[in-house]
Parts: sequence; C-alpha cells; structure tokens
Amino acid sequence: MLTFIVRRLLLAVPVLLGVVFVVMLTVDLLPGDAVTLMLGEHATKDAVARLRDHLGLDKPFLVRYLEYVGRVARGDLGRSIQQNRPVAAELADAWPATLQLTVAALVLAAVTGIVAGVASAVWPNSLFDALARLGSLFGLSMPIFWTGLVLIVVFSLWLNWLPVGGAGSLTHLVLPAVTLALPSIAMIARMTRAAVLDVLYQDYVRTARAKGVGEFLVLGRHALRNAFIPILTLLGLQSGQLMGGAVLTETVFAWPGLGRLMVKAIFARDYILLQGAVLVFALVFVVINLLVDLSYGLLDPRIGRQ
Amino acid sequence: MTAWMRFYRNRLAVLGLALILVLALSAALAPWLAPYDPARQSLVEKRSKPGAKYWLGADEFGRDILSRVIYGSRVALLVGVLSVLIAVAGGLVLGTISGFAGGWVDAVMMRGIEILLAFPYLLLALAIVAAMGTGALNTTIAVGVWGIPTVTRMVRGAVLALRETEYVGAARALGAATPALLRRHILPNIVPGLVVYATLFMANAILLEAALSFLGLGVQPPTASWGLMVSTGRDVLLVAPHVATVPGVAIMIAVLAFNLVGDGLRDALDPRLRGSA
Amino acid sequence: MRPTLRSRFLTGCLVLGLAAALVPAADAQKRGGTLTIVRPTDPVSLDPNLETTAPGAWVYFNMLEGLLTLDEKMQVKPALATSYEVMSPTKVRFKLRPGVKFHDGTPFNAVAVKFTFDRALRGTPPARWASLAGSLDGAEVVDDLTVDVVTKEPYGPILRTLAMYCMGMVSPTAVQKMGSDFSRAPVGTGPFKFVEWKTNTHVIIERNPDYWGDKALVDRVVFKVVPEEGARMIALQTGDADMVLFPSPAQLPALRRDSKFTVHETTGIRVVFAGLHAGMPPLDDVRVRQALLHAVDRKAILDNIMEGSAGPALGVLAPGVFGFKDMQLDRLYPFDRAKAKALLTQAGWTPGPDGIMVKGGQRLSLSWLAARGRYPKDGEITEAIQAMFKEVGVEAKVQILEWAAVFQQVRAATLNHHMFTLGWVTSNADADYSLYALFHSKQVPPVGWNTSRYANARVDTLVEQARRSLNQTEREKLYGEVQDILAKEMVWIPVYTTKEIIVSRAGVKGFHIHPVEYNLTLSKSWIDK
Repeated sequence: MLTFIVRRLLLAVPVLLGVVFVVMLTVDLLPGDAVTLMLGEHATKDAVARLRDHLGLDKPFLVRYLEYVGRVARGDLGRSIQQNRPVAAELADAWPATLQLTVAALVLAAVTGIVAGVASAVWPNSLFDALARLGSLFGLSMPIFWTGLVLIVVFSLWLNWLPVGGAGSLTHLVLPAVTLALPSIAMIARMTRAAVLDVLYQDYVRTARAKGVGEFLVLGRHALRNAFIPILTLLGLQSGQLMGGAVLTETVFAWPGLGRLMVKAIFARDYILLQGAVLVFALVFVVINLLVDLSYGLLDPRIGRQ
Repeated sequence: MTAWMRFYRNRLAVLGLALILVLALSAALAPWLAPYDPARQSLVEKRSKPGAKYWLGADEFGRDILSRVIYGSRVALLVGVLSVLIAVAGGLVLGTISGFAGGWVDAVMMRGIEILLAFPYLLLALAIVAAMGTGALNTTIAVGVWGIPTVTRMVRGAVLALRETEYVGAARALGAATPALLRRHILPNIVPGLVVYATLFMANAILLEAALSFLGLGVQPPTASWGLMVSTGRDVLLVAPHVATVPGVAIMIAVLAFNLVGDGLRDALDPRLRGSA
Repeated sequence: MRPTLRSRFLTGCLVLGLAAALVPAADAQKRGGTLTIVRPTDPVSLDPNLETTAPGAWVYFNMLEGLLTLDEKMQVKPALATSYEVMSPTKVRFKLRPGVKFHDGTPFNAVAVKFTFDRALRGTPPARWASLAGSLDGAEVVDDLTVDVVTKEPYGPILRTLAMYCMGMVSPTAVQKMGSDFSRAPVGTGPFKFVEWKTNTHVIIERNPDYWGDKALVDRVVFKVVPEEGARMIALQTGDADMVLFPSPAQLPALRRDSKFTVHETTGIRVVFAGLHAGMPPLDDVRVRQALLHAVDRKAILDNIMEGSAGPALGVLAPGVFGFKDMQLDRLYPFDRAKAKALLTQAGWTPGPDGIMVKGGQRLSLSWLAARGRYPKDGEITEAIQAMFKEVGVEAKVQILEWAAVFQQVRAATLNHHMFTLGWVTSNADADYSLYALFHSKQVPPVGWNTSRYANARVDTLVEQARRSLNQTEREKLYGEVQDILAKEMVWIPVYTTKEIIVSRAGVKGFHIHPVEYNLTLSKSWIDK
C-alpha cells in the first residue's frame, strides 16, 4: 500500500511538470502579452521594452521553463508579473476561500445527491423519484450565474436573509455553496440512481434477495458497495470541476478564491501567477485522484489487485 | 420486445424526443418561423415587455427575442451535438486503448488525461479558440475537448471492471480478438453509461457555450446564441427579467429534452432492466 | 532668456492660495462612521509606480498627494506645493508646504520629492506612470522646501502632468524600510492612511489625525470588491454599501427618482469611439469615412444603450480637457442615411444584389475588432453600429474578442482590420496627451497610439509646436486648428464621452464627484444616518 502511494506521488511529478509546460506554452501561444497589457494604451515602446527585459520575458521559451522549474524545485513560485508580489502570498490569500467553498459545496452535493439517488433507486418510479429527477433536471439546466443571481434577488433583496456577496461569516458561504453545489447534486443523484439500479439487477443481488436477505442489508452490503465505484469516480471528478468551475460562482458572489485569481491571471497573461495557481490546483487534483483510486481498492478487491 | 418499442412506451422519453424534434425543426425552418430578422434592431423598443408585437419581448437592442430564440436553436444544436460527438469519440478511443493495453501505455495515457483534467478548462477553451479564431465551430471544438478526459476515464473504468468479469475472460480464453471483444462485450456494456453521460454533457455543453460566448469566445454578433443572450441579459435582470429569462428557459427546455431522451434510451437499452418499466 | 520667459508667462510669481474649506454650512457636518464603497475589481497595487488604473488609484489618491492637484473644474490647484515659478523652458521651481509629515512621521521636503521622482523614473523597471509623464526628467533639491522639476525638453503640459492622480509623494524612509511590501501598504501625506488590504475582499483606510489640511470626516473607508453589477446594486439597496462605483446604467433613472439615494454625476474625460483605419481601402477615401459618420445615429445610442450614463462625444477630446474644441459633429455629420448613401455613390459604390454596396466586384465589407466590457457598453455600441451600417449598405464583420487579443492586434505595427472600438482617456487633462499620441504620423503603434494610421504633415507640425510651447494661449489655438482639420478628415466615429457616475445612499453627504475617474476624494464626505 505504502509503495503504491509513494509510486503514485512520484508519478505525479511528471504530471505537474507537464501541467506547467502546457500552461506556459498556452500562454505563450495566446495572443496578447502581459507587459503591454499591464502598461496599457499609454505605454511608450521604450517602457515596454525595458519592463520586458527586466522581467526576463525575452528569453527563449525553454530557458524560461527550466528557470521556472528550477525555482519551483527550490520552493520559490516567483513573483506575479502584474502585481510584483510573491505568487505564494497571492495563493495563500485565495486558497482558504476556495477550499472552504469547494468543501462546503462538495459535502452538500455528495450528501444530498447520494441520499436522493439511493432513495430514487430503491423506490423507482415513485413520486419521490419523479420529484427528485425533475429537481435534478432543473439543477442541471440552469446557467450557474443565472441561478446565483436569482438566489441573490430572492434571499438577499426580497427576504434580506443572507448577504449579497463577499466572504467572512458562515452566512456568506450559504448562497455560493448552494449555487456551486446545485449542478453537482443533480449529477451525483442521477449517477447514484443509475449505479444503484444497475447493481440491484445484478444476479448476486437477486440471489441475496432470493436467499431471504433483508432489503436493507441487500442495499447496504451489496448494492451500495458496488455502486460506490462509479459514484466515487464522479465525486473525484466533481471535486476538480467544483474547484475549477467555481469561477462563475466566485464572480457572482464576489468570493475571493482561486478561480477568480486564475481568470484574472489569464486575462492579464500573467503566466507566473497562473502557473502557481494551476500547480496548486493540479497538486490537489492528483491527491484527490489518488484517494479515489485507493478507495477503489478498498471497495472492490478485484481492482485492488491490479 | 425491441429496445425501440420499450422506448416508445416511455411517455416522458417520447416527450423529450418530441421536444428535440421541435428544436430541430425550429433550427431547420428558422427563416420561415421567425416573425422578424433576428438581427433587426429597433433601439427605441429596447427591453419591450412581451406583448402583441413581440410575443416574448425585445432585448436590449429592441431585437425580437422570439426570433432570436428560434435562430439560437441552430447554435445550441450545433454546439450540443457536435461537441458530444467529439467528446464521446475521443474518449471512447482513448479509454479503450488505455483500459485494454494496461501497463505503461495506460500509465502514460492516464497521466496525460490527468494533465488535461488538472488544467482549468477555461484556459484550455481560451487556448483552443485563440489558436483557431472565434466562431461557433471552434467553440464547439473547445467544448468537446473539455469532455474527452471524463469520457476516457469512464470508458477505461468500465473496461477495467469488465476485463476481470467471467464472460470476457471466457471469451478471451476462447481466443477472441480484441476488436471482437470490444464490439461484442465491452461496447454494449458501456453504452448505457455513455448515453447517460452524453446527455448530461449536452447540458454542460450548452452551458459552457454560454460561458464562452460571454467571454467573447463564442459566436460573433449579430448571430443569436442562447448563452450569449442570457449572459448579456443578466445585467438587466432586475429591470427586465424577460431578457435573460426567456433564453434561460430555452436552454432549460433543450437540456431537459436531451435528458429525457437519454434516460429513456438508457432504460430501453439496458438489457438488465428488461420488462421492469 | 530668463527675464523674457518670466515676463511672458508669469506676471511675477504666481502664488496659489490655500484652498479654503468652502463647504456651505447647510448641513452640520458630522464626524465619524465607516464609509463602505463597492466597486468591481481589486487594485493591482496601491503604489502608483505599479498601478495607474482606477481600482488602485481610487484608494491611493486618498493617501498620497502630489505637488499639485486638479480641482473639480479641471483647474490646477496647489497640494504639497504652495507656489511655482517657471525658471526656464525645461525647469519649474516649486515652493513646498512647510510642516507636512508623512504617515510614518518622516518630514515631507525637497528630498522626498526628488526621491519620489528618482524612484519612479530611474528605477528598474521605471514606474508605470513614466509613460504618462512625457518629458518629465526628475527633480533637483534647491533647499529643504524648494525643488526644481526638470524636463528633458520644453514641455507645455508639465503642470497638468504634475497634477495627475498618480504623482503622489511617497515617504522615502517607508520605501527603504518596507521594500516591495510598500506597494501593498503605501505611506504618503494624505488625509487617510492605510490600515489593511485583504486581496479580493477589501481595502481599509482610516483618517490621518495629523493631516496638514482639513481632516477627513469619516473614521474609516472600506473598499469592497463586488464584480457583478447586479450584486453591487443590491448591496446598495440592502445597506451593505454606502456608495457604488460603476452603477448599472439601466437602474439610474429609478435611482435618480428615489429619495433614498443620491446619484452623483459629471462629464468625464474619456471618449469612446469606433476607430477607422485611414490607411486601408476603402477607408482611405474620406468620403467613405464621412458616409459612415452620417450612417450612425449617435443620439439613439446615447438614449437607448448608454441610457443617460454617458454624454455626447463632441469631438476627439472631452470638454474638460485643456485645448478642447467642439468639433461640431452634429452640424457637420448629422444622422442622415440619404446623405450617407449619396457620399458612397459619389465614391463609386452602388447597391449590390443583397443590398450591400459594391464597387468593381468588391463588397463594402469592413472587418471590425472589439472587446466586450473594456469600456462601458463597448460591445453593445459595436453591435448597434453594425446594424446601422447595414441600413446604408455597409456590411460590418464584427469580431468580439477578449481584450488581450484586441489589444495585441491594435497595438501591432500593422493592423489588418478596418475598424476597432476603443476608448481614450486624456489622463493629464491636456490635449497634447491625446492629439500628439493619437494623430501624429510618427506615433503609429507600437511607438504611440495612432491606431487609425493617420498621417497629415500639418497636424504633425501643429502638435509638435504645441508640445514645446509653454504659452498656454498659443497652445490652445494650435490645438484648435488640429481639431478643425480632424473634423474634416474624420478618422474616428466618436460615440460618447464618459460620465463619471457614483451612486450613494442619501445619507452620504459632502461628496463631490470629479471628472477624472481616478480622482475620488473622500475626505470631505460624511455620514448623516
């Protein structure tokens, strides 16, 4: 087990190197340039040239890549081009907010989604099933910024229960977490329903039922356990999407997280800041993937042997 | 009973199919159905409420929202269907290769997929569109590529699980070639899952197109896109809710239709559910 | 040399009086409280060396003061300098205000002025405002409270340049002690001092109790970030905010009527325009350019898209700018489709089968580059004009791209588009800044910002002459002539002049809005619950 974890973490190194390479190449290929954008319409040609030189932006791509990797290996993420502030400090500012929002949304989505999905599968075609499926359809169909605005209008403007935006207290977290979780709840509920239904019709479940095993045990011991594999896969993917997909939610609710930081960095072509943000993002993603894979092994010994 | 018969007995699925047909018809017959030219502006009639002249109201340029919604179905269909095809085709190929080959091929491919997944998709979409230029087709590709990693992992997961099952093992022992295995055993088993995912992805494709259109990476004016209509209408949500609501509802209906059909197909295609609905 | 200059430009030494507090005593001012302001974005930095855009300027303008400042009527007024004297065409001597201290206790003096300019102009890299400061070359210490500001060549706009929002003096000791942290917690002499900046959440500043002038009335100001326009407006209505920057234009009519709110507005100094590439056929034909002007219903755009949030464009400059002359656009180029078509016919264009004009087998199709959201309603006005062009048989192929991509293409040495939607703010409020950089034939990007690729030898001579002159009356005349020429040649379709609009709760009193968006003065505001 330990060797597996160590090997996976070592395998993550090339992934991270690849991510940095792709980000840097992408920003290089994109039209637009950090320095001219930053200095704006008013900049003289000379001012642009001097700043580019100062930042070392005129060096060849591979040189800049290796320099960056070397610096990161020594634990230095560099300074953002636009703000001239250590990237680590920028990330430290944004990271807790993102974590808070993602975890809140993920827990909300997983609990609500799995409960609703299992209930739907156990009583298929019941009133609850119909309502839950209808609900998920709505959850999936609404553009996230629109949902967010509607929630603001209802809960902040009309009812005045919750703050409009910003971070700080738990009340600030409610609307963005719900908005962010909505599509995921729907996704997880549907997936859970499909997976559990799938398992419920497998031969071994029928056998268990035929042997007179109680419905609750059948569900708990056989159905859920096997249905969990696809659900976990989805949860792993969702956590990544929640983190990256929080951009719109963060914008609507003025949530000071990583998503907005990355979009800002993309639009400013600040590749140093962007790389730092993506690195953190990628690292977390690798860890989540690892956890998902580890849990496959726990749930299904056949995969564990692989 | 055939799969199609089972599908037709599912009333909701048929409703979904009917909605998709309406969508397809409105896309095909847009010039005849739309009461106005979708690009015709009448600034003084901006944000007109729904009424006799403009059945669904007018937008911030005084353009007829109904006509724009009708024309917008073209973009929605194009982006939705094509991007799903891209995602599924790409994912199917990569996932099967990875799942079957195993070993270092699998390891390398999975790392590649992880790179893609670990990459904020907005940046990826930006890169694709920036490299190829803006327009509906390039937006479609950007949306489609976004779905490839997920499909790949789903397919690979299914292949891995099925590889160990008795019937595939038996077929292998009997000397079946990989393509035959794929066609006879693996594909039929992953189709239901894929169909579910493809319909869900269709929803996301339309929503992602909204986000991209908003960033100026989608269709170009004066082409009508539902996503763009919602995005620009949200600024006036408080004064003229219909500007954003109408295309929002259009999105919802389109997504709903694909979901209903997807669900129906799933029930109809999954042999284990035979006779249960 | 010197005496002549003196007699020409200065009737003796011009002494600038202390700006007395002239607030009428209609309401009794109240002290204390927190003023909460919501605006769309976080600053890049709070150091003018790194930040010249509004989100940072709004904050640091209240903490850092320059030698001079521009009042709300766009007149140069004293700030940290009390008087000035022109010593030579390239040297102006300033007497500094005595007894002023920076927030960290460091005395403000000539050394601090020299330090600020050296840091900005000689630093590596130079300050971001260096490009805005023209020929400014630095400062020389004469004595503790006397300093000479030097330019590389005679530079007419020098006073307005020194009065720019980003010319605030910084504490030398603080800069040396804090290093790069200074940019997140600047130390100046202003009525407010820095408290805290939580990235993407808020910036807090508080009253400087030792301020040399009238002390700020509120205890604290909190600048919050709320990117979404709708959410900003709701924050104002729920009382989460006292003041909104960049309010939603669509809601202004209702807010103006509502006694719970005050809408502060004034004409700004930015002109937003649809630029024409004068070097690219068919736009190299002045008749085609004029036809396009006649085809645009500017009033309809102002009324229905800007909805009162912008004023008419009166030319290439905004009215508040020194050297502005009304280009009489409504008289010269009224909205007249028949006139537009007639001009196109004169230029040899005839209607084609699909209604689009043709000439020699070529369709009158213009490629047009625009961003959405860079300038207020830039995407929308582009779409509106596109539809208006179609009515006179001109096809516009609009490409709305992300700003970075638009900027890259417009700034490149060759531009492959006929049109582009841009805005231009005359940052130092002096015509030189715009007419030179935008219309001198040598200022084609990437050197300057002559995006229209306009070339006219007479204009070149006039703007050069006006730049070197220190006689403001003469300069005004020269710029007038430039604008007369431009009015005939029209390489822009000026669409609107920005309005600066801020909405506050009615309980916020004493606030005066400034034509320059960066100059947000908060020290005179107070809260009457």
